[in-house]
Amino acid sequence: MGTIIAIGAGIAVLTGVGAGIGIGIATGKATDAIARQPEAEGKISKTLILGCALAEATAIYGFIIGLLIILLLK
Amino acid sequence: MKRKGGSDTESLTEKLLEELNCDTVFTIPVFGGIGVAESVVVTWIIMAVLVGLSIIFVRNLKVENPGKKQLVLESTIGWAKDFFEGIIGKENKRYIPYLITIILYLGVSNIISLFGFKPPTKDLNVTAALAIMSMFLIEYSGIHKNGVKHWVKHFAEPVPVVAPIMVLEIVIRPLSLCMRLFGNVLGAFVIMELLKAIIPVLVPIPFSFYFDIFDGLLQAYVFVFLTALFMNEEQE
Repeated sequence: MGTIIAIGAGIAVLTGVGAGIGIGIATGKATDAIARQPEAEGKISKTLILGCALAEATAIYGFIIGLLIILLLK
Repeated sequence: MKRKGGSDTESLTEKLLEELNCDTVFTIPVFGGIGVAESVVVTWIIMAVLVGLSIIFVRNLKVENPGKKQLVLESTIGWAKDFFEGIIGKENKRYIPYLITIILYLGVSNIISLFGFKPPTKDLNVTAALAIMSMFLIEYSGIHKNGVKHWVKHFAEPVPVVAPIMVLEIVIRPLSLCMRLFGNVLGAFVIMELLKAIIPVLVPIPFSFYFDIFDGLLQAYVFVFLTALFMNEEQE
């Protein structure tokens, strides 16, 4: 039983893959944009932080689900 | 290093669970006992500190020859006002004090684990309450700006087919706000507790800078920023 719970939690945390890819792409594009237009840096980084927070949320949901699986399915 | 076996992980789990729990500090003996959770007490402490600081800072304000304290205060508040005005526009000045209050509370409560308290935002009820407040504010700002008729109509735009999704969005937006804040604070808290349990000396310091200070302040910023953004969206 314990092993299955651990596997389930591990699968839930796989949501981190999406967040990683998303934040990676967003940061890459932001770097591009800043390199092209350094004067717009303030606006770009504001949007980047917002986008990263939104993308990161999926990873956080996965983490919460994993934690709940471990804590509740004892 | 030799592995000590299961009892060590067991005690670690116990400790972690204990940290995750939100203890009831005391019970008010009316209506069969109302439990006062730890997060509420920590919130009271934060409120006392913030209110006390506000009272101390606004004493002896002068129009002529302002002191250093007043200059710092004025520039900080001015900066915050400009910042929020940039997001929600000049015509929505009335919501700015609320947003500044929330960001102050969240900022303090997210970094309060540095002072040995459990952050109140680690309690799901606190973030849910904040998110529900945001939800009402978002809808109210839309109704206040455009009237009830427009508010009802905007669910069926651009095509009536999307109406169920638009209605669901009322609930989904605060849910995601709540879960994002809660998950981030809880995640940071769990990681810090694990680190402290495994290597208590020196190693947690750089991690503490990221998880306790940077992440906490960033999430406070994101919460308020998203609330303001949703309000903006609702008013269109």
